[in-house]
Amino acid sequence: MALLQTNSISFGYSHGTPFEITALDHVSFSVDKGETVAVIGHTGSGKSTLMQMLNGLLKPESGAVLMEDRDIHADKQQTRQIRFRVGLCFQYPEYQLFEETCFKDISFGPKNMGLSEEEIRQRVLQAAKIVGLPEELLEKSPFDLSGGQKRRCAIAGVMAMQPEVLILDEPTAGLDPRGRDAVFAMIRSYQRQTNAAVVIVTHSMEDAAQFADRIVVMSHGRLVLDGTADEIFSSAEELMNMGLNVPASTRLVNELRSLGYDLPRNVYTAQAAAEEIASCLRRSRP
Amino acid sequence: MIRDITIGQYFPGNSYLHKLDPRAKIVITFIYIVALFLCKNFFSLLLLLTVSVAAVLISRISFRVILKGMKMILLIILFTAVLQVFYNDKGTVLWQPFPRWDFVITDSGVFSAIFLSVRIVALILFSSLLTYTTSPTMLTDAIERLLSPLKHLHVNVHALSMMMTIALRFIPTLIEELNIIISAQKARGADLDSGSLTKRAKALIPIFVPLFVSAFRRAYELAFAMECRCYNGDNGRTRMKVMKLCLRDYLGLLASIALTAAVIVTSYLDLGSLFLFESVI
Repeated sequence: MALLQTNSISFGYSHGTPFEITALDHVSFSVDKGETVAVIGHTGSGKSTLMQMLNGLLKPESGAVLMEDRDIHADKQQTRQIRFRVGLCFQYPEYQLFEETCFKDISFGPKNMGLSEEEIRQRVLQAAKIVGLPEELLEKSPFDLSGGQKRRCAIAGVMAMQPEVLILDEPTAGLDPRGRDAVFAMIRSYQRQTNAAVVIVTHSMEDAAQFADRIVVMSHGRLVLDGTADEIFSSAEELMNMGLNVPASTRLVNELRSLGYDLPRNVYTAQAAAEEIASCLRRSRP
Repeated sequence: MIRDITIGQYFPGNSYLHKLDPRAKIVITFIYIVALFLCKNFFSLLLLLTVSVAAVLISRISFRVILKGMKMILLIILFTAVLQVFYNDKGTVLWQPFPRWDFVITDSGVFSAIFLSVRIVALILFSSLLTYTTSPTMLTDAIERLLSPLKHLHVNVHALSMMMTIALRFIPTLIEELNIIISAQKARGADLDSGSLTKRAKALIPIFVPLFVSAFRRAYELAFAMECRCYNGDNGRTRMKVMKLCLRDYLGLLASIALTAAVIVTSYLDLGSLFLFESVI
């Protein structure tokens, strides 16, 4: 039994107008406790629609979304409860901050859950710690923070609900490499503490390869590939045909191999590539 | 849902109406509206409605889209019709529901209610075609050109039309943004559809604060971007596409004037028993 899964769901926008689009076409996707899944695909491939299906914001036109084998749309009250168990952090979440202080903004989710004052306080402090937001900033207005701090505050707002499934839509968009690493570190830290399932939508093959146990590729509303980094990036040609790419380090190693260097196929991160190339050089110059 | 509102939307196409000069389209729409308010009997109204329907056919925009856009106005039409039925107590009495009160439904009331409803439908049908077949930039460009005589009265026509262009341009952007913000706050458990009125009003704060913040942010960004491209009002500005009236525009204008003439003739000349429908308003 998967923690959260979709059973062949389909969805479209703007039926009956010239702007009609099929956003999802019989998509079956599942995620389990403690697992990290990266969803990659082009803009308009249906990634974001799928994410909104997972926490019940959108209702599939056909098929069902199951959490622990129960349909999340079975009754309306339950659907709202699902949103606390499946935390969804939208793209550029800092644009959704609204409260007077960071503390209040982070506590918006827990407050909606109907928790006690004390419990809320504890959760906010815990979430702030995970994202590395210093306590003295909690009493400041979120609009006075720097861009990176705003992003942290907004992500903390979702983590404070302590969801069992944490979904993040391009959490590193617009961040520099250091900010990117920081965001991944906090997601890891959250996952270690709660054993939550993590789903990350991303454009970056490097991020997907480095961060996820499993990679899912979407194209034109369909789920086309689903597997480990090894399995996905070994079908480089298929990815290229979809207008997607393999990580730059994989490309580099592949080129070098075609030039006759003795390098393995399963290299996806800059780190691994550097090590493999170094050891290859050592071997060739005894 | 908000994304289903089609009024004011532009449906790209290549029909006669799409190709018509936007200035001519505005003037024709204006003439049509005048004709609609000049018309006094069912015959002339039928004529105008037929023209509306014909215009929709010419535009090749499907009726389904147009009817969907009219759903929102249906309530207003119904309200007006009901009010008309009760308001008008001339003519023969058809039904007096409460004998003690001076409250009757008359044939003239029913006629005027139908008349008014059809008039509103025709009005919306025709005028919505203006925005359906004209891109917002073309539309504001045309308004600027039509209003340009006001420049002599020191009215800054260019600034006005630029404001309109920007406002129109940002409606879809802000609607999209609004949808995302609503979803994001719902994802954090915001409850927008239940509770008392004050609770619901309070629930709007998490939606409107980010929306305003982002509207101001966009305004700043746009202002900077415009200044970076040396935007300086219309001082010495020329146009890439100069609008020019051609034969089809004159034909369209001529047709609309002919229509008005026909309406006036049928409405005001006493053609008597030639038409079954008498003047109702």
